[in-house]
Amino acid sequence: MLNFDWLSGVSPETAKMIFFGLYILIGLLVLSLPNEYIWVGIKKEDRHWYNNLKIWSVTVLSILATVYYQF
Amino acid sequence: MLAGIDYFIVIAYIVGMLLLGLYFKKFVNSSEDYFLGGRSLPFWAIGMSIVVSDIGALDFVGVSGQAYRYGISVGNFDWVGSVPAMLLAAFIFIPYFWRGGMYTIPEYLGRRYNKSVRTIASATWILFFALDLGVLFWASAVLLNVLMGWPIWISIMSTAGVVGLYTYFGGITAVIMTDVVQMVIMFIGGFALVYLSLDAVGGWENMVAKIGTMGPEYQSHFDIIQPVGTKSPFPWTGILFGLTFVMSNAYMIGNQSIVQRCLTAKNEWHAKASMVFGSALKMFIPILVLFPGLMAVVVHPDLADGDQALPMMIKTILPPGLVGLMFAAFFAGLMSSVDSLLNSTATLFTKDIYEPFIKNDADDKHYLKVGQITTLVLLVIGVATAPISSDFPGIYVAIQTFMSYFQGPIFSILLLGIFWKRTTQWGGLSALVIGIGFAVFLNVFKADYFTIEDPFLYISWWSFVLGFIVNITVSLLTKKHSDAELEGLVFSSKIITKNKS
Repeated sequence: MLNFDWLSGVSPETAKMIFFGLYILIGLLVLSLPNEYIWVGIKKEDRHWYNNLKIWSVTVLSILATVYYQF
Repeated sequence: MLAGIDYFIVIAYIVGMLLLGLYFKKFVNSSEDYFLGGRSLPFWAIGMSIVVSDIGALDFVGVSGQAYRYGISVGNFDWVGSVPAMLLAAFIFIPYFWRGGMYTIPEYLGRRYNKSVRTIASATWILFFALDLGVLFWASAVLLNVLMGWPIWISIMSTAGVVGLYTYFGGITAVIMTDVVQMVIMFIGGFALVYLSLDAVGGWENMVAKIGTMGPEYQSHFDIIQPVGTKSPFPWTGILFGLTFVMSNAYMIGNQSIVQRCLTAKNEWHAKASMVFGSALKMFIPILVLFPGLMAVVVHPDLADGDQALPMMIKTILPPGLVGLMFAAFFAGLMSSVDSLLNSTATLFTKDIYEPFIKNDADDKHYLKVGQITTLVLLVIGVATAPISSDFPGIYVAIQTFMSYFQGPIFSILLLGIFWKRTTQWGGLSALVIGIGFAVFLNVFKADYFTIEDPFLYISWWSFVLGFIVNITVSLLTKKHSDAELEGLVFSSKIITKNKS
């Protein structure tokens, strides 16, 4: 059990889909955060798309998903 | 050994770091300045510092060696093994620590659980960090000895002198700002090596084709997901459960030297952004450290030891000038690790040991002085213990492995501490002690329980699971904390709707 033998029937392709699912889940959780929470510390007039941390996070996750798709 | 322009580059780098670090002395007037940079630093500097502190020269060599032996699956450590954890830290944990004005992770554990949990966690980190210092001093001395021809003791004293001076005077601001320059140098040197190595192997496609024809042991070199039955230390189950769910979170959320940097941010947005920006930079690390190892499979296919892959690539691929830059990058990795350990250990000792147990009513200048003196004492310990490392060649790996055993239990109490109100002080304490004990037990008897080569990912996962179960069980059997005791320490939807900063 400690060696996860019970998951040996899962193919690497399915495992890859599990990782993809994880990235999508994290992306959705980040997107679900209230905008106000993302901007805490930034004045209203200084809030722009380029300092929106949701966009940063989703971009990073998308690049990561692409890497896993490639390999 | 280096000569000419390479020698000049390494010397210029060392002197430049010293001067830059000392420049930040003028910003240190209080213990908050020394340990938290006056909570004034920008996200980009903190993000770069997190990345460069995480990757040391020994990792450069080690990861390239693993890529040589096992292929691209090693990249999981910086991709899935960092990015999700850094996002979790950015949006959930760091805001709590930053708003609470905390200096250390054990400080949070002390407030959430009790003083014993704080002391055990802090003492364990201090012990590991102090042991690590000696090993890193020795590694940097060997590097300088080989490259510059300096005697070992002069090499140790040079590293200790440069890093010690700017860390002693400039505190964490000097540490972070020198890290910024060190990261730039590391990236320039690393990308130069990757670019020239790719050219040497005839491009990516050519390299993949050549490795594909080299025999059965290389057939999965380009598979990032390894099956459960792999003999390598990276089966996907270990990567998912041990690395992604436990070790990476414990490292990014529970490691003092990482989290302390975020606490120096000038406001909450910068604290969160530093982690997200750091996660973006982390994605490039495998390119720098993993690709040279892969390319070495083509250029040097018969290496007896995979750890020779990177040094051999530098020796055969890089022209004069870039060799110096690459070794400056190595040295940058070592210096950033040493300065992080010095400052974080001084913070842990001053805030978690000295202030609660030795003198808790002193003025701020006193704690600033204690932090500086602790830095000096650690320097002396590091220098004195450095030669011991030469007698124990596996000591670095041993220290890292034992640190990994601490990760599962510490993450279990952090996770439950912040997300479950019912967790009690006795639940946390039991989970920490029993979880660490279980991890040590599994390590001692790993040959009896595990089939893969090095089961540290599995050990982290199972010690996390046991810590989690013990914490829940003992908490349900003991008296719960009052709401007043838990205010600001447990996750509530209010944190994401109320602006407190």
